[in-house]
Amino acid sequence: MKKLCVVFSTSPHGNAAGREALDFAMLAASYDLETSLLFTDEGVLHLMANQVPESIGCRDYIATFGALEFYDIESLYVCEESLKEFGIDSDALPLDVKVLTSEAIRAHFGAVDEVVVY
Amino acid sequence: MSTFILQVSGKAYGSAAPVHALRFAKAAIDEGHHILRVFFYQDGVLNASSLGSPASDEFNIYKAWQELAKRHKVELVNCVSAALRRGMVSKEEAETQGLSHWNVDDHFHNGGLGELVSGIAKADRLVCF
Repeated sequence: MKKLCVVFSTSPHGNAAGREALDFAMLAASYDLETSLLFTDEGVLHLMANQVPESIGCRDYIATFGALEFYDIESLYVCEESLKEFGIDSDALPLDVKVLTSEAIRAHFGAVDEVVVY
Repeated sequence: MSTFILQVSGKAYGSAAPVHALRFAKAAIDEGHHILRVFFYQDGVLNASSLGSPASDEFNIYKAWQELAKRHKVELVNCVSAALRRGMVSKEEAETQGLSHWNVDDHFHNGGLGELVSGIAKADRLVCF
């Protein structure tokens, strides 16, 4: 079976890309494709704790990230450089994500069959 | 010969994505490759509007997709949930939802994300626009 990496590169709530990326990732995993997620650029903002998206009229799809293990999505990665740029402390992340250097990200892209960027 | 599945996420007007996707599809077919299907997701579902009417001196992407589907038997699939959220409705769905209008004709069929994923599994390569 093919291996997929779904990249979250845009901020949550400003548009639907993150939500639609998550829908795609869960569907892919439920079809038994080995699916990993990578948060990079503004996409790292998905990992901020205590978000209240309902207060700006958005659906709280962030909460769904907590259910990823039920979809057998266990490989969650975040770009080290992006975390630094946004001043996010990797110890304070609400999900069990592995911090990757850009070199490691490149290696991961080489190890999967398809990379889908949202 | 390779088999491709294309994902189009850019809207019909205001994005170059669908034009690039269309050109890729035509070039691939001309070179003897197979386009398994074109899957429209996110704002890409707006390409399915049968009511899209650009000015007469502008490229008509809506017609171009319809012609591609007809001439080369390329399957055009809209993600149904992305489409319904954006007001892209087939005749059948309009009846189900009790709507008096519809704007997606038979050149596009509604599918789930499963058709994207099963296509990815089957095709040699996914190309996203």
